[in-house]
Amino acid sequence: MFREILRALKMHRIFIVQELKRFTEYKGDFLTGAVGLLLAQLCNIVFISVIFGQIPELMGWKYNEVMFIYGFSLIPKALDHLFFDNLWSVGYFIVRKGDFDKYLTRPINPLFHVMAEKFQVDAFGEMVIGIILLSCSLPSIEVEWGIGKVLLVIVAIIFASFIYTGIKIGTASIAFWTKRSGNITFMFYMVNDFVKYPIDIYNNVVRSVLTYIIPFAFTSYFPALYFLTGENPLFNIGMTIVVALIVMTIGVLIWNRGIKAYESAGS
Amino acid sequence: MIYVENLRKEFKKTIKEPGLKGSLKSFIKPKKEIVAAVKDISFDVQEGEILGFIGPNGAGKSTVIKMLTGILSPTSGKCTINGKDPQKDRKTYVKEIGVVFGQRTQLWWDLPLTETYTVLKEIYEVDDSRFKKRMGFLNEVLELDSFINSPVRTLSLGQRMRADIAASLLHSPKVLFLDEPTIGLDVVVKDNIRKAIAKINEEEHTTVVLTTHDLEDIELLSKRIVMIDKGSKVFDGKITDLKEKYGQMRELAFVSPDENALNVLGYGEKFGLSDDDLIQEQDGTSCKIRFNSAIVPVSDMLSYTLSKINVKDINVKDADIEEIIRRLYKEGVE
Repeated sequence: MFREILRALKMHRIFIVQELKRFTEYKGDFLTGAVGLLLAQLCNIVFISVIFGQIPELMGWKYNEVMFIYGFSLIPKALDHLFFDNLWSVGYFIVRKGDFDKYLTRPINPLFHVMAEKFQVDAFGEMVIGIILLSCSLPSIEVEWGIGKVLLVIVAIIFASFIYTGIKIGTASIAFWTKRSGNITFMFYMVNDFVKYPIDIYNNVVRSVLTYIIPFAFTSYFPALYFLTGENPLFNIGMTIVVALIVMTIGVLIWNRGIKAYESAGS
Repeated sequence: MIYVENLRKEFKKTIKEPGLKGSLKSFIKPKKEIVAAVKDISFDVQEGEILGFIGPNGAGKSTVIKMLTGILSPTSGKCTINGKDPQKDRKTYVKEIGVVFGQRTQLWWDLPLTETYTVLKEIYEVDDSRFKKRMGFLNEVLELDSFINSPVRTLSLGQRMRADIAASLLHSPKVLFLDEPTIGLDVVVKDNIRKAIAKINEEEHTTVVLTTHDLEDIELLSKRIVMIDKGSKVFDGKITDLKEKYGQMRELAFVSPDENALNVLGYGEKFGLSDDDLIQEQDGTSCKIRFNSAIVPVSDMLSYTLSKINVKDINVKDADIEEIIRRLYKEGVE
């Protein structure tokens, strides 16, 4: 078990190095991608700033707090985007074109292989904006920071990113039956835009969906709430971890069944 | 080495009526049909053997290979390779096999070729000294030197195929599966690849299973073939047996000034040959007749022809393997 983990980490490192070499071949493309994501986020931030220029607060949320939640939401998303972006390709073409064959003929776990194979440097655009937002909004938010809290932030971010990864694994796996499921993943991701803002500004239906059905609220609002108020760590952080584990487990279960249904493609 | 027993694979297929209306109809209420792509095939392969796996397009060759390599799970039946079940023991099993799909590549598309090998070295856990020795050997057999530092996307198809075969052999597999390894290649490259496969088989005693359309591949590489058509096995045995069994077709070619020669001769009526046993062509003054020598001995055919018309040049040839296969396919279809 321990040896397997070490080996997985080593393989992951090797795949990332391969990808970094690839970027040196396509520098322009990578830069454009990162700048594109950066601009997209900047537009949203300008939009929020304009709104807060008109109103002092939103359902009791101040500008800085909204910015904190917004910034927090970007980091787990960027982490998942950075490391496990290849799952999108599973849903869009790897299965449909039969390219998944390759992963099944190699002596490493196919899910790990397909996830680790790509390193999406574009994600740094989101990551940078997220970090800037967090560090700009923090000084004006009254919270006490200690080592414990910093560790909790890190844990929360890691598990929050697993929620994204788990949802992607589950939805990508549907392609094993339907041949193409990228749009299902996309649909889930569209819902994700809601959680850049505090979810108590929405009505009950939206809030329940984001909490219980597609639990993106645990990738930003709930953990951020703990850091902003210091309240209820058991639910806000604890549930983030539990939800991440549940989503991941469901995703992997669907994946394992899907692999058995894989039909390859004619050649 | 390889034991295949009653292997069967069924696919669920949605039947669509043509056109947008048909597509919509099938979207709302899909009509499903079960199609058996491989129907209870059994065969085995000895260690060190090169087995040619042939059949027309859509016969189920690739499906069989995909089941043998653990990519597809069989609907029923089983295969054991080297004592392992490809699905159940996938992780240890794939370490002992090499797979090349001629239509796909497992190389890292954007990077220099050497990068593929260094990653595969890690994936298959080949240690440094063995890797070095292995690369030396593969370099020699497949002549990778001239392009090993070029990005894979810039390689020609022939170079890419050699590189892919090398990639599948890096971990010294006991069994090598090649699905259409010479597809789309020119004569010289084909020849190189065949030689390389033969050499690896000879030096390392690697068992090879290859599917191909190119019968020359088979004639030059394997002594034994398994032929399938529409998912069922139609022949299993030596190529020489195949020739004996189905190779009774002979080709008679002659040049006659008589433009109406074939009508005058009327082979069909004279010898009572059906369309399957007699194929006639006339192009100006030269005629080509393929006939079944099991029904009409060559000597009868010759003496009858010579007695009936004025002939300038005449010769009789053995049917080549392509002709045999053509006949076999035809029998399969009927």
